[in-house]
Amino acid sequence: MGKLDSVAGKAAIRLDTTKVDLRKFDKSKLEAHSKGTDFIYDDVPAPNLSLWDRFWRWVWHLIGQVLSNKVSGGLIKYLIIIALVGLVVFIVLKIIGADLKIFSRKSQIVEVPYNESDDNIHEINFSEEIEKAIANTNYRLAVRLLYLRTLKKLSDKNLIHWLPEKTNQTYINEINDSDKKKEFSKLTHQFEYVWYGEFFIDKENFNAIKDTFERFNLHSS
Amino acid sequence: MEPEIFNERTDLTELNQAVDQIRQTLSSIIIGQKETIDFLIAALLADGHILLEGVPGVAKTLSAKLVAKSIDASFSRIQFTPDLMPSDVLGTSVFDPRSSSFEYRKGPIFGHIVLVDEINRAPAKTQSALFEVMEERQITVDGHSYQMDEPFMVLATQNPIEQEGTYRLPEAQLDRFLFKIEVKYPTLEEEIVILQNQHQQKLEVEINAVKAVLSIDKIKKCRAIIKALHVEPKLIEYAARITHETRNNKSLYLGASPRASLAMINSAKAIAAMQGRDFVTPEDIIKVAVPVLAHRIMLTPDKEMEGLTPADVVGQIIQKLEIPR
Repeated sequence: MGKLDSVAGKAAIRLDTTKVDLRKFDKSKLEAHSKGTDFIYDDVPAPNLSLWDRFWRWVWHLIGQVLSNKVSGGLIKYLIIIALVGLVVFIVLKIIGADLKIFSRKSQIVEVPYNESDDNIHEINFSEEIEKAIANTNYRLAVRLLYLRTLKKLSDKNLIHWLPEKTNQTYINEINDSDKKKEFSKLTHQFEYVWYGEFFIDKENFNAIKDTFERFNLHSS
Repeated sequence: MEPEIFNERTDLTELNQAVDQIRQTLSSIIIGQKETIDFLIAALLADGHILLEGVPGVAKTLSAKLVAKSIDASFSRIQFTPDLMPSDVLGTSVFDPRSSSFEYRKGPIFGHIVLVDEINRAPAKTQSALFEVMEERQITVDGHSYQMDEPFMVLATQNPIEQEGTYRLPEAQLDRFLFKIEVKYPTLEEEIVILQNQHQQKLEVEINAVKAVLSIDKIKKCRAIIKALHVEPKLIEYAARITHETRNNKSLYLGASPRASLAMINSAKAIAAMQGRDFVTPEDIIKVAVPVLAHRIMLTPDKEMEGLTPADVVGQIIQKLEIPR
């Protein structure tokens, strides 16, 4: 305790009695400084902006103005919410693999020089079309129509199951009766030579082919 | 009226004789695999390269060697290994001290029929050496281009990618193969015949007895005939539609290139000619569609995990397209 007392005795606070010389700023100089270029930070020279930067600065300024407006700002807020919801729905649909073709632009339809592709054998008036083809001496088309008519007849009698995606050989294989199969194979060969092979046929040859087709149709009826 | 009475436009007699000869030669040794043999012949006639894929021991290399042997043309073999370098395939320039200049030494790629065995055991760096020669029938080394002699055909064999030590071939290279044929296991009956032939030591004798039945000139002639065969415009459109569908199919990550459409038409012509016709039918296109397209398309990962194969997808595409008639 005695030691502590002696320390306390030594640590007596000394007062600074030096006279303070209070300096006063010259008001006119202060005012002059406050108006100087170094003091006014707003007056920083603008950087050299390109036209592109200026455009974006204008865009952001415009957006800021629109958003700060009570009426238009509120509308935009809802538009942003709708867009975000739409984006979330789109991502979900993409993840589950839904068909999103409705969102994409339709591809350009290419016209192909193939006017027979949409034929439905159950809708063609064969007698009329065959007559027309013969009248135009388009025997190639007439043979094609004769073959399609035969397919229709076979389909009507449930001897084949007609599907446009099936090949001629598939139809041959579908016929169970061996005689009919053989006859139909011959007709198929004739059709293929005339249609795919584009072999020339005159009236005489056409009539012979027509007879074979008609005989087959008669026998299979 | 029989089809025979249609006036003959193209004389296919010589071609059919050649096909019969080569088919007979191959069939006498390779038991079964009639379709593989037909596609090998079709590729030869259509001026295309062929990739034979199958597990070890199903006579892929033997088939390729026999094709080469039955043609009177130069044959070379390159065994693809993981350390093979492009210069080991194409050749390299060697310094000749006597003339103080570099001299180009041709690599084994210079041959009419080139058997590239186990092609997918070499990395992509080596595979890329084949790109130019397979497509353009020439190689460029040190700024000089060297033309290949006609016919030039690459017959490559590979194990499926699932097998140990194999690399996936680059898409650009796969696209250069006209067909990829999957060589399947023989049936029980076929395997018994194989064993009997082996037991009676017939096989070795027969392989040694194989003689060239096709000359280079004959191949060139046949190829010229096939190029001139008739393809109805709707069938060209049909082939294009099949290829186009591969580019819009949800199951596929990579569709087939226009080169695939060309390959389909060229090989369909060869198939038609082999059947004695000088025109293509939809069946010819359908027959070649899987071997032409399956290796050029890539499944999406999810479909691959589901167990779907590229051949399945090609089949689905064909089934949904209307046959032009």
